[in-house]
Amino acid sequence: MAKVAIDRLSKTFPPPTKGGDPVVAIGDISLEVEGNVFVSIVGPSGCGKSTLLNILSGVETPTRGNVSVTEGERPAHLGYVFQDARLLPWRTVMDNMMYVRDDGDAGAAKAARYLDMVGLSHTHEMFPGQLSGGMQQRVGIARAFSVEPDLLLMDEPFSHLDAITARSLRDHLQELWSATRKTVLFVTHDVVEAVQLSDRIIVLAPGGRIFDDITIDLPHPRRAADPKVATLQAEILGRFEEMQPASTPA
Amino acid sequence: MTVAPVAIPEAPAPPGRIRHWLRSPVGAQVTAAVVFIGAWQLLTLIAPRVPGPIEVVQFLYIEITGGSHGGIVRGQFFQHFAITLQRFSLGLLIGFVGGLFVGVLIGVSGLARALLNDTVLVLLTMPAFVWAFLTTMWFGITWQAPVLTVAFTTFPFVAINVAQGVRAITPELKHMSTAFEVGRSKQFRHLIVPAVAGYIFAGLRFAIIVGWNGILLSEWFSGQAGVGFRTRYWFDANRYRGFVGWVIVFIVFIVVVDRVILNRLQKRAFHWRDASEADFIEIEERQVGL
Repeated sequence: MAKVAIDRLSKTFPPPTKGGDPVVAIGDISLEVEGNVFVSIVGPSGCGKSTLLNILSGVETPTRGNVSVTEGERPAHLGYVFQDARLLPWRTVMDNMMYVRDDGDAGAAKAARYLDMVGLSHTHEMFPGQLSGGMQQRVGIARAFSVEPDLLLMDEPFSHLDAITARSLRDHLQELWSATRKTVLFVTHDVVEAVQLSDRIIVLAPGGRIFDDITIDLPHPRRAADPKVATLQAEILGRFEEMQPASTPA
Repeated sequence: MTVAPVAIPEAPAPPGRIRHWLRSPVGAQVTAAVVFIGAWQLLTLIAPRVPGPIEVVQFLYIEITGGSHGGIVRGQFFQHFAITLQRFSLGLLIGFVGGLFVGVLIGVSGLARALLNDTVLVLLTMPAFVWAFLTTMWFGITWQAPVLTVAFTTFPFVAINVAQGVRAITPELKHMSTAFEVGRSKQFRHLIVPAVAGYIFAGLRFAIIVGWNGILLSEWFSGQAGVGFRTRYWFDANRYRGFVGWVIVFIVFIVVVDRVILNRLQKRAFHWRDASEADFIEIEERQVGL
């Protein structure tokens, strides 16, 4: 069971222009996530959602504070799904799956199983350029699940896709998550998506502070059209409006 | 009521056979070759010391088949060509491996860039004949001089191109590799090398041309065998058909390497770009319900 412990974390970027102010992406947040839960981090653009994932994955370093991502006594093994698929265009789908693994034939069987789970068993020898954006993103999801991570980080994975494709991929994701029950940190700016997928929603406000921490106690899998889901979505969107009164036009 | 006749524009006449032939790739190339040979033949009428194409072909036939050029001098094409090819291959290998290593280093490390980038640029500006002189001064009339001339002339072309290629790798793919903890050696083989393949081919293409020039000069100055030596031999003997014959061998070699070897390798390295099958994908999309 993966455990994410974030203690008084801050991240400030240098001023984008000479003489400007530093940009505070994350401002002193503390947070714990533990167990086989699906946690969404929601918030408006620029509130530090993606920066938080980059710090957890080791791509960025914090300005202040500590983060630890552990599985028992050892560092947790991570998987990552990005906004775009980030596949190597010169490698086949199967080679892309194997790029993140080190275990030969056994790994290939596992990679094939996850491709099958996202409905792409026929694409092993195809190149990413031969696939649509939705299919590429499914390869990205299969790749992240196939490394059997302790913690799966997902950074707005459906934001670049059309609504129908995104909806279909959310269903695929729910099926995969129900089958594997990984700890997931899912960044999105879409409250509807967050309510459909998550056990817990952490709302970040501009300036990178935690605005709200909401537990969602509905059984999986959920359908977006389910009245309980829709009611909860409306309630959370209402809280969002409380967070940003200043940005609402008079 | 009368309706005014509408003028229907006439379809353009199909191009004539000659124009059609000239527009085809093979036709254009064959025509260019014929025009070149014709111009060369005309030049021999104006300047009698310039050997004509037939004279040169006759010389090359004797040189290649080992026949007699008159007196005791016999054709020695394969001996000299094989020696040059060995030296060139070794020099190119040294220059290529060194350039690849230094190019990757400059591309990934800011410190290496600060230390080495200007040095490589300086080396890039050094003409091949300078290396040919220097290596002859350092090593005398030995096999090392032409080999190192090729290595020194090819190295900076490969290094500069590879460094540019490494810097052009998208940070998103590096980020993905870091997030999945992909090892450095695997990143080098599957991310860096394919990403810079286009730059490697560009560098290699230039390197082969300048390296081949370098070896000709080096063997001309210091060789006792090889293509450059044999070219100078005929020049010194005042036999210009021999000189021009070997220059043609020199040019044909570069063209063959470029067209036959490099083009095929390049096509193989980039076959993923050709794999675009939009119609097939649309069908597949419908099958999986997206």
